[in-house]
Amino acid sequence: HNFSFFLSFFLFLGGKYDYDLVVIGGGSGGLACSKEAAQFGQKVAVLDYVDPTVKGKIKIWGLGGTCVNVGCIPKKLIHQAALFGTALKDAKKYGWQISEPVCHDWATMMEGVQNHVRSLNWGHRVQLQDKKVKYLNFKGSLVDEHTVKGLTKAGKETILTAKNIVIVTGGRPKYPTNIPGAVEHGITSDDMFWLKKSPGKTLVVGASYVALECAGFLTGIGLDTTVMVRSIALRGFDQQMAGLVTDYMETYGTKFAWKCVPKRVDKLSSGALQVTWTDTQTGGEHQDTYDSVLWAVGRAPETKALGLDKLGVKLNQETGKIVLATDESTSVPNIYALGDIGEGRPELTPTAIKAGKLLARRLAGQSAELMNYDNVPTTVFTPLEYGCVGLSEEEAEKRHGKDNIEVYHAFYKPLEFTVAERDASQCYIKVVCKRFGDQTILGLHFTGPNAGEVMQGFAMGFQCGATYSHLSQTVGIHPTCAEEVVKVNITKHSGLDATVTGC
Amino acid sequence: MLCRVCRRLPAPAVTLPSFLVMAVFTQLTRMRPWRWFICRKQFLSSFGRHGSIRRNMASDRAASQATRFDFLVIGGGSGGLAGARRASELGAATAVIESHKLGGTCVNVGCVPKKVMWNAAVHAEYLHDHSDYGFDTGNVRFSWETLKAKRDAYVSHLNRIYRNNLDKAKIQTIQGHARFTNDPEPTVEVDGRKYTAPHILIATGGLPSVLSDAEIPGANLGITSDGFFELETLPKRTVIVGAGYIAVEMAGILSTLGSKTSLIIRQTGVLRNFDSLISANCTKELQNTGIDLWKNSQVKSVCKSEKGLEVTIVTKDPEKKNDEEKTSTIQEVDCLLWAIGRQPNISGLNIGAMGVDTDERGHIIVDEFQNTSRPGIYAVGDVCGKALLTPVAIAAGRKLAHRLFEGKKDSKLDYSCIPTVVFSHPPIGTVGLTEEEAIKSRGKENVKIYKTSFTPMYHAITSRKSQCIMKLVCVGKEEKVVGLHMQGLGCDEMLQGFSVAIKMGATKADFDKTIAIHPTSSEEFVTMR
Repeated sequence: HNFSFFLSFFLFLGGKYDYDLVVIGGGSGGLACSKEAAQFGQKVAVLDYVDPTVKGKIKIWGLGGTCVNVGCIPKKLIHQAALFGTALKDAKKYGWQISEPVCHDWATMMEGVQNHVRSLNWGHRVQLQDKKVKYLNFKGSLVDEHTVKGLTKAGKETILTAKNIVIVTGGRPKYPTNIPGAVEHGITSDDMFWLKKSPGKTLVVGASYVALECAGFLTGIGLDTTVMVRSIALRGFDQQMAGLVTDYMETYGTKFAWKCVPKRVDKLSSGALQVTWTDTQTGGEHQDTYDSVLWAVGRAPETKALGLDKLGVKLNQETGKIVLATDESTSVPNIYALGDIGEGRPELTPTAIKAGKLLARRLAGQSAELMNYDNVPTTVFTPLEYGCVGLSEEEAEKRHGKDNIEVYHAFYKPLEFTVAERDASQCYIKVVCKRFGDQTILGLHFTGPNAGEVMQGFAMGFQCGATYSHLSQTVGIHPTCAEEVVKVNITKHSGLDATVTGC
Repeated sequence: MLCRVCRRLPAPAVTLPSFLVMAVFTQLTRMRPWRWFICRKQFLSSFGRHGSIRRNMASDRAASQATRFDFLVIGGGSGGLAGARRASELGAATAVIESHKLGGTCVNVGCVPKKVMWNAAVHAEYLHDHSDYGFDTGNVRFSWETLKAKRDAYVSHLNRIYRNNLDKAKIQTIQGHARFTNDPEPTVEVDGRKYTAPHILIATGGLPSVLSDAEIPGANLGITSDGFFELETLPKRTVIVGAGYIAVEMAGILSTLGSKTSLIIRQTGVLRNFDSLISANCTKELQNTGIDLWKNSQVKSVCKSEKGLEVTIVTKDPEKKNDEEKTSTIQEVDCLLWAIGRQPNISGLNIGAMGVDTDERGHIIVDEFQNTSRPGIYAVGDVCGKALLTPVAIAAGRKLAHRLFEGKKDSKLDYSCIPTVVFSHPPIGTVGLTEEEAIKSRGKENVKIYKTSFTPMYHAITSRKSQCIMKLVCVGKEEKVVGLHMQGLGCDEMLQGFSVAIKMGATKADFDKTIAIHPTSSEEFVTMR
């Protein structure tokens, strides 16, 4: 360590480092940041290393981080497979005669998913090479504010010096700490996306978007799935919308154990997992057996191995995440962080990418633009997709007062549901506006098919400061679900029926 | 034109006085252009006689005994119903005259049944992809009959909803064909009964254009999009003529559902008034999905044989001047579908006598406030021949109602930046100017284009592939986005939100500022470089 200290001191005096920028973490944010920096002529290295999951089922995955390997990408593909489960039922109503039963083969699907993930891993490698970013399969840790130590799987150490260091190591799913058998017998989403065999009858513990998305796609491909919810679903999201999402899931076949907390998990001689839980409302104890128990109780950063404490990088004591300024700087000069590891930052790929690019530009002296973390749209890919941007109704009420907001809403029926005879009770649109003045939109919420595709453009309108009249002045596109957003005209205050009839 | 007295009239139409004179209106559902021409001459001549008729025939008695409303709407389609309902909400005593089913083109022979068919075709595409996603579906068979029965049931359901909506709004529905009389005050007759109002809205829509046997021998052996919705079985062999969006949509649906489909186009590409990127890409996609595309071709004649229709086609590439015309025949065709355009539905309306101006194709000429050349008579929707879209007609009808019955003098529809989706395979979304239009109006040096194309993630694990293409047309230093064009999976649902932003005057920088939603296709618009 002394040696490295002197080395970096010497390099500093000489004004020279191995790299202009060393990025620790090859996920969405790290890759975007490093490629952008290289684009501006910076000498850049990326260190990427993946520890096996606790369960040890998954040894390692490739470049691209959570999104590519155990997040957005495999999730959306399996969600698509699950939508096909519904599409098959719909197809019969649309005149197709399909011989029963239709079986779903997990292995076939996962082979396709994993091949795609591997092609993305490879694509990222190629891009780094093209952009002349040095890729190092090292586990990185900080030595000082200009020095990073890289450790290979075999245990070989390498010292790298850099003018600036960016920490983008993301997070991993958490396990509960006080439930016997949880770690031994349970899995997390990291395992889920690489399972070779169908998880079978599954208990999903948690009600975050990860929990609901996993439970949704498992139900969709025909598995017996239960979600165990301690308090509320989709905390932080609009709760009326969250209710619609879970209501739809219940009619879709996902079981919910509301207000229940798991107590222990035991493996029976048959191999089945016996879960014991407490119903917090009745105090009663219940038991059932499952093939898999998936913990989706939150995500946590992996900061321990980074050597942050030694350098005095300030962390949030509760979350363990790095405390950041608006320019993504940590409490230590030359050390920056972004993405899921940043305290209070949204755990979303596009924000990490954008923040990474902007940081790279600032570090290369190309711009002073800061990342704007407001107006971040997101979509939850549950069986009935939910897209939103801006404030929830609760938050809007809190900030502006109940009497100062106007909520336009509509229960609509997607045309694709009609012939398919599907219940559309949860297809809903809510536009939360300021009640007076030009009725600026504060939040926009949409449940329905293709919510992600619907939401992006509206998120842009929202970014541009759209008002209610901007929506109503836009001519609809008929017949689509998205047109219902520009057609909303019933306010909650009016108490009128918000069901859309006719064109 | 605000009628304050009328606004105070009791809304229920049943309290109004009863009827008088009888007449008949014949709505031609298949009007041939030559007949239309004759009709037009009649309109013109009757227009010439207009003054004398008014003096001689129009007794005050006749006019006063016509049933009087505040607002009389001719045509119970999208535009008419929307205008009527809004007017009624604003307190106007309103009636709607409809000769056919309520809902007009959109509900009965347009958007709604079309999208149902498109959805069915999308299922056909899904069925190819199921095995890639792990579902073993084995052999599947498609029943057109089942689909048609369900589609018809849904359309009837909508017809009833529209009827209920009118009843609930206390709008009188008058069943029959409307014909303007020669009374001094604009008045229409339906089944011999007269109706009048200070404000009469013509919202009679349009019809598919057809060719006469004189123009193309055997032309009437074919059907139009109206006939498509009457098909009881899936045709085995289809020939579609036309290069517009209706031809593209019909060809896509029939081909995807399993009909061997040929598309006959006069030039080399479909959707020629769309951005060239979309036109070229859609033409390519049609061919990719197995549609037999006949470029530089026209139907010469059609005849009937025992095994079906024989469609004779002439092909000549204008680029190759020395080439001979090539004549070919497609045999055993069981569905020949003309999709060569639409025309206004004004026959029998006797609008010529009213001094309502029409263009050379018969469209009613209106100003930006939907006023025709005759005070007190307005027109919205397809009959005006501009932006033939349901939401446009609806919006125009409502804006008019607000102007007439709420005193909102400036209430009118802005016809700029109207988003449109074509339900092709994959769907097309477009709003604003094409690159060509932007260059023409702003000069090439002021136009900047951003483009991208990619394979949507949906296809990441499917053997069947389709591309998604996207284009932004920007003008000026500030790179204001004046056009957005795309074709690919999900583009139908993507467009609406962007069209709000573009209408707000969004620039490329606004696109860049917007955070992406991952993983979607639409995020490519906000991450374009």
